[in-house]
Amino acid sequence: MKLTYSMLREYVDTSFNAEQIADKLTMTGFELEEITEVEGDKVLDINIMANRGDGASVIQLAREFLAKVPNATPTELFLRAEKRFPANDTGNRDIWSKTSAEIQTQTCTRFSCRIFENIQNGPSPEWLQQRLRQIGQRPISLLVDLTNYVMMETGQPLHSFDLDKLAGERIIVRNALDGEKLRTLDGTDHELHPHHMVIADAERAVALAGIMGGEDTEVSASTTRCLLESAHFVNTSIRRTRKELGLFTEASYRFERHVDPEGTTAALNRFAELYLEINNNSPVGGIVDVIAAKPPLVQLTVFIKRASRLLGMEISLDQAESYLRRLGFAIVGKSPDSLEVIAPTWRSDILREEDLIEELGRVHGYELIPEELPIGSTPIGGPQGFELLTDDIREAALRCGLDQCISHSLRDIHPLDAEGTRTQVRTPHSPEMAYLRNSILPSLCDAVRKNNAENIHIFEIGRIHNDETESTQLGVISSGSFENPTWRESDPTSADFFTLKGTIEQIAHAIQLPVSYRRTTTDPRFHPTRQARIIFGKSEVGIFGQIHPLIAVKTDLSPTAVMAEITLDPLKTEQTGVPTSKAISRNPAARRDIAILIKKEVPYAEIDQAIVKSGGETLENHWLFDVYEGKGVPDGQHSLAIALQFRKLGENFTDEEANGLRDKIVAALELLGATLR
Amino acid sequence: MEQITHVQNDAIAAIQAAKNTEELRAVELDFLGKNGKLSALMKGIGALPNDQKPLFGAKINEAKNAVQSMLDARVQDLKVGELSKQFEAERIDITMPGRAPRYGREHVLQQTTNKIKRVLGSMGFVYKESPELEDFKYNFDALNYPPDHPAMDEQDTFYVTDDKVLRTQCTALQGRVFESTEPPLRVFTVGRTFRNEAVDRTHSHTFHQVDCFMIDRGISMAHLKGTLGVFAKAMFGDEVKVRFRPDFFPFVEPGVDYAISSPKLFNGRWVELGGAGLIHPNILEKYNIDSREFSGFAFGLGVERIPMMAYGVDDLRNFLENDQRFLAQFA
Repeated sequence: MKLTYSMLREYVDTSFNAEQIADKLTMTGFELEEITEVEGDKVLDINIMANRGDGASVIQLAREFLAKVPNATPTELFLRAEKRFPANDTGNRDIWSKTSAEIQTQTCTRFSCRIFENIQNGPSPEWLQQRLRQIGQRPISLLVDLTNYVMMETGQPLHSFDLDKLAGERIIVRNALDGEKLRTLDGTDHELHPHHMVIADAERAVALAGIMGGEDTEVSASTTRCLLESAHFVNTSIRRTRKELGLFTEASYRFERHVDPEGTTAALNRFAELYLEINNNSPVGGIVDVIAAKPPLVQLTVFIKRASRLLGMEISLDQAESYLRRLGFAIVGKSPDSLEVIAPTWRSDILREEDLIEELGRVHGYELIPEELPIGSTPIGGPQGFELLTDDIREAALRCGLDQCISHSLRDIHPLDAEGTRTQVRTPHSPEMAYLRNSILPSLCDAVRKNNAENIHIFEIGRIHNDETESTQLGVISSGSFENPTWRESDPTSADFFTLKGTIEQIAHAIQLPVSYRRTTTDPRFHPTRQARIIFGKSEVGIFGQIHPLIAVKTDLSPTAVMAEITLDPLKTEQTGVPTSKAISRNPAARRDIAILIKKEVPYAEIDQAIVKSGGETLENHWLFDVYEGKGVPDGQHSLAIALQFRKLGENFTDEEANGLRDKIVAALELLGATLR
Repeated sequence: MEQITHVQNDAIAAIQAAKNTEELRAVELDFLGKNGKLSALMKGIGALPNDQKPLFGAKINEAKNAVQSMLDARVQDLKVGELSKQFEAERIDITMPGRAPRYGREHVLQQTTNKIKRVLGSMGFVYKESPELEDFKYNFDALNYPPDHPAMDEQDTFYVTDDKVLRTQCTALQGRVFESTEPPLRVFTVGRTFRNEAVDRTHSHTFHQVDCFMIDRGISMAHLKGTLGVFAKAMFGDEVKVRFRPDFFPFVEPGVDYAISSPKLFNGRWVELGGAGLIHPNILEKYNIDSREFSGFAFGLGVERIPMMAYGVDDLRNFLENDQRFLAQFA
């Protein structure tokens, strides 16, 4: 809402300059967007809160300023505005009888109008044209300019019809007929339906109620008789029609928010007094005023102690009374701790005591509220349960040297999408963001390409939507060397199935869950013989492996890239994060290395299991440290070198004991077909 | 006797002539070894009269000890010299670039989130999460939005179905909490929100929000201001001040937007951070919380705003594009 400093000064007497006024308005909630200078006057652009449609008027902004600044005084004009611009005479009775208005719809609560005759609808006087230009409007003609100007002042939208073009010279407010046609002022044709409200004459629709007039009945330079409409409509009806027909006007803006239901005649009077100042001897008719529904009377009680307690600052009864009076509330009752008030009709936002408490706080000043810390019971704060587990997993991924990504959830289809139904947004902003991702992997793939990096090891934990279920997922893509090229010979290790497997195991260890795997070949995104399902505790949580070479081509990823997709929600049922402690031996360990020849198709897991089982409790640790095939090893076999480390609690291992255990393990491996090398 | 002195002098000369520890080792063998020159003198002891034998023996030992200790000292000297030569040979250019081990970099939004979690968690607010694809009723109805209210205009929402929307505000958590938790309560969340907006430097259809709320007996705007004060100081430094300004959100009454200023930041201007207020009594009553007994506050703000203001990031798009050049500046 734009207004000039001069327009406001007609209603308030103050020594404040435009910037100071804007500051005060900002602190009442009517925030200054910007202040500019146009044709020698300061123009304030004020942001109107969604629940304060009344604020889209000079008078109500003046009221807010006067309430906030006690030593500013209302002008004569403001006092007359308070009395709704009482007219000296009620207008020409002869003209009065020349028209009538009828309301046939529930979405119009009041229709007021009056007739002007012997009009010369030429250009407006310069002062009016200038003010309209200053607030960004184009001057058109006297009648149009005055309707706009009075709307800015009072907040009441007005519309002027050429009376000679109204069939029957009368008005009916009704619902449109099905298929009824109307060409609005902007030249567009509309086909209307019964849920659209129209202003009609005796024969047809002549305006879209509360939104825009019709072209046929528009006032022009040749207009000599005019019917000026000032009506009140229900906001939801206007809003629906405006959205449907795509017509956004100053009038619809106000009606959608809320216009004072009691303000129709005041605006007609203000129009008449400005009109007569310009066109002194042209006859003006009396007001035709049809009231279909009276606005509800909102009577409320505010308890001052409760107000002070909720606001966190002391406000006295006298202060409260003064603040509410200045805002236009009528005080109808008073006790030592309470006020009974009637809310002004323009304040549709006032519905209960708390709304009054806000009014008291606003005028008293929120800057007076002290800073205190909350009282009462304080629980243990921060993340707990699943949220804490997610944090632990994220920490573990970071410690594994993976860089964290955070990406958009909305995206397009991608070769790395998981199997399953994707969730689609009904009205996407663009096709590239029409779907919610159903896997983290496409996001990570984008990140790899964004960085154009050969060596990249990244993860993201975020929400995914698959098969109409929202889950939290960890995704990893690991590709290339773990060390960036340097001037020294580089670490030759680069990402593969087993580096990622190790990472997954570290993560599982961080949340104290055992990890196991299940062989799989069926996920088409992964290399069919290099993929595995992941099981944390008892829950299957996802899949990992090397990318399928054909997918690698499609996605521009390296064919050696490895990926993991782990859904965390199943872990909600797992017991996590409870380590068990065992006594640590202070005695030396005994190490025995063995090398065995064994058929390659024997899975290492079986060898591992046999070692653990036969090694017993004193086998502290064992690890595979060499895998060899080739010269000296029979075809179809490989040689595995395994270190065995034995240790006892409180006792040293003798050579004989260590050798004995080693032999026992070898014997167990021989059952699997292994021979000692 | 003279012979001893003679041999000892020879040994001393040889020690002094030796250029390195190897030559010294030869000298050692030559004079002090089993068959060395000083040891050889011992063989002459038999020819001496008995009364001179002990004296002669002692003299040889004395000479041996003197040579040995001189030799040891000389070895020490040479070793130091040789080490320093070695050090010189092993000199490196310490200005050559370091070789970084892998270090998982945390995303700047994560760092900010962690900071938020630490501060609010330490004040007793429990961290909770709720769905991004939210029921319409939690996103709007539960938050006192009247049907068809103009405030909805400000959030052009992504709908999946009539009942499911991508949440436009993390405040959507409130209804879920009030349904399942009796007051007193203190809860906060950090999460992703969506609005159907075009993307540019300062707008995105996807961004993150903190939402924090509590209900207890006697909670006031002063407690809200105090909590925000602590929060803002933790985020932006000890000199930060908080200002309230009236504003409208359907889920709070009174409603404010809060701004912060600091002599060190934003040229001392007030910069709006987010919306806040006392939880609307309609909401309390909807969840059978007696608004005469209990009151509560709520505040929210954009997570991205924090690094934008604190670090001077001027393009919102950076946060979700995963460009390592951007992210590596912060971790």
